Amino acid sequence: MMLTDLAVDPRSFDKDKVGYFRYGMVDGRVLMTNDVGEHLFLSPEDFRRFLAGQIGPEDALYEPLRRRYFFKHDFDLDALAVKIRRKKAFLQHGPHLHAVVTTLRCNHACRYCHASRTDMDRVDTDMSLDTARKVVDFAFRSPTPVLGFEFQGGEPTANFPVIQFVCDYALEKNRYENKELLLSLVTNLTLMDDEKMNYLLDKGVMVCTSLDGPADLHDYNRGWTGKTSSYASVTGWMDKFNAEWVRRGFDPDLFHVDALMTTTRASLTRGKEIVDEYVGRGIRSVHIRPLNPFGFAVNTWKQIGYSMDEFLEFYRTTLDHVIALNRQGVFVQERLASLFLTKMLTPDDPNYSDCRSPCGSGSAQLAYNFDGSIYTDDEGRMAAHMGNDFFKLGHVDSSSFDEVLRHPTVKALAVASIQDALPACHSCVYKPTCGVQPLHNYMFDGDIFGQRPLSRKCQEFYGVQKYLYHLLANDADGSVERIFRRWTISRSRPGTTPYAPANEVSS
Amino acid sequence: MTENALSSEVDERRVRFTVDESIYELDVIMGAAYLFLDRCYVFLDRVGDRKVQVVLRARQAATEEELLALIGQFSSELLNQALRKQVGESNGRLREFIMAKALFAADGPSTIDRLLAELDAEEMASDDLDIPVPWEKPASE
Repeated sequence: MMLTDLAVDPRSFDKDKVGYFRYGMVDGRVLMTNDVGEHLFLSPEDFRRFLAGQIGPEDALYEPLRRRYFFKHDFDLDALAVKIRRKKAFLQHGPHLHAVVTTLRCNHACRYCHASRTDMDRVDTDMSLDTARKVVDFAFRSPTPVLGFEFQGGEPTANFPVIQFVCDYALEKNRYENKELLLSLVTNLTLMDDEKMNYLLDKGVMVCTSLDGPADLHDYNRGWTGKTSSYASVTGWMDKFNAEWVRRGFDPDLFHVDALMTTTRASLTRGKEIVDEYVGRGIRSVHIRPLNPFGFAVNTWKQIGYSMDEFLEFYRTTLDHVIALNRQGVFVQERLASLFLTKMLTPDDPNYSDCRSPCGSGSAQLAYNFDGSIYTDDEGRMAAHMGNDFFKLGHVDSSSFDEVLRHPTVKALAVASIQDALPACHSCVYKPTCGVQPLHNYMFDGDIFGQRPLSRKCQEFYGVQKYLYHLLANDADGSVERIFRRWTISRSRPGTTPYAPANEVSS
Repeated sequence: MTENALSSEVDERRVRFTVDESIYELDVIMGAAYLFLDRCYVFLDRVGDRKVQVVLRARQAATEEELLALIGQFSSELLNQALRKQVGESNGRLREFIMAKALFAADGPSTIDRLLAELDAEEMASDDLDIPVPWEKPASE
């Protein structure tokens, strides 16, 4: 998978001229990348000339190489340092994403559920108001200028009073703290009513739900205890929320219900229909997410699972359809592609916790279980429900913010995700635009380091990036890059910033 | 890699060959071997002075042709790993310097520096000793 099919002669390397770079093959051309995320395609012959220091200022390739910092005898060191600092700006802040599990109760029994859930009568798994208050106090200790609370479950709206309390208390507290406060709810929408909807809209809580595609596919994946179709309930409430945002005078492009899809085996032949379902509902962003074999999915894997090769084939054909729609003037983006493209084509990093070096577990996000236990992230909480408390960092009753942030587990996860120190990652051509999530390694292999060539997440990220670079390498008229660049532009909602993607955790 | 090793020791699922450490350093050999983990079980052994034996055992059934192709792929990867090692070593100190400059350079004065400056400003506001006045200028009476 990661092998480089290129004949090179290490002896002909000019160490005085050639700066640091990584390389790999894409469609017979050599893709070069470097620490600031710059990239350039060269023919194998030009690549060998570059290596040998034979490309001088008179050569047409000299300026593209120099401008992208591939030479070390002719570059602006200060500018390079500033660019790297900007790429790693996420290191300057503390945890900004705080997942609050209001309850483990859920009225769904999805085939692939990652989140631990209990039946609806298990009110003993509800968060108390006292714990909720301590969660808010704890989260506000983070030095981050942008603070996000994301309500998770179970089905979080099954314990709506805690959602209300956290919103009210956080908004009140923020009158003095003056942070950029983001409130979001990950919900299946099936317990929604008008009173709850109006409360959420009044408080500016952004709603994200699960929509796996057309009705039959969605209902197949997401079984629930209700008598009607889950799809009908979800889409009905999506329409109602969106209409209410418009009625209140908000820009529907910015204020609407977001949705996430999870790919099961039943989805693999239906990428086009899934995208069309999203577009038909006015959703401009589709995140094609693979199934992770943990949680309930461990038991149902034989029924709904698939190989990573099968997923990548699905991803590529679905992405092609998304691009084709854009060519027809329909603006819709694929979310995973846009995250990578922001890294590839802009000076910034989208600060996606699962694709950073180091990862954001414990340092960019925290998860609070219903009982007040604090975990590195939602995957860490899931691991606890599978019997391993390894990723528990403390408790809101007894832990200080410093203790949690300096917890040995947070440090271990950071070490395990610094790509410069990981075999295969450190020299991978996609390293500058990739990232590692040690929790995934742990869930798959019982080892936070894992082995890159065997990691499903590595295969996914490698395959997606390879396809994106393939599209860029064959973009003769620049039309694909124009579409891709649009996907990297994030408009902020008034009062919010595109600081980090929330709502990325499966519910 | 020795010529005789290329043609020897291919069986149902396994290929065995020897790499000369005087040509490829051990970390280059290990770097190449690591990338085969998705398709092979990899066994390394030192079979002589600066001789490393590599055994690749395919995870799934493989034809003799596919097994022999593994040797070619491994050889090619050795060259690429050797190049990557050179690129890394020749730029290592420069990268460390740039990273340090990028990550540890303050955007402006630190909090402590700012506090000290404020304290200085307060003290200097009533500076009877004219401390900020250059020594070559006469102090006020």
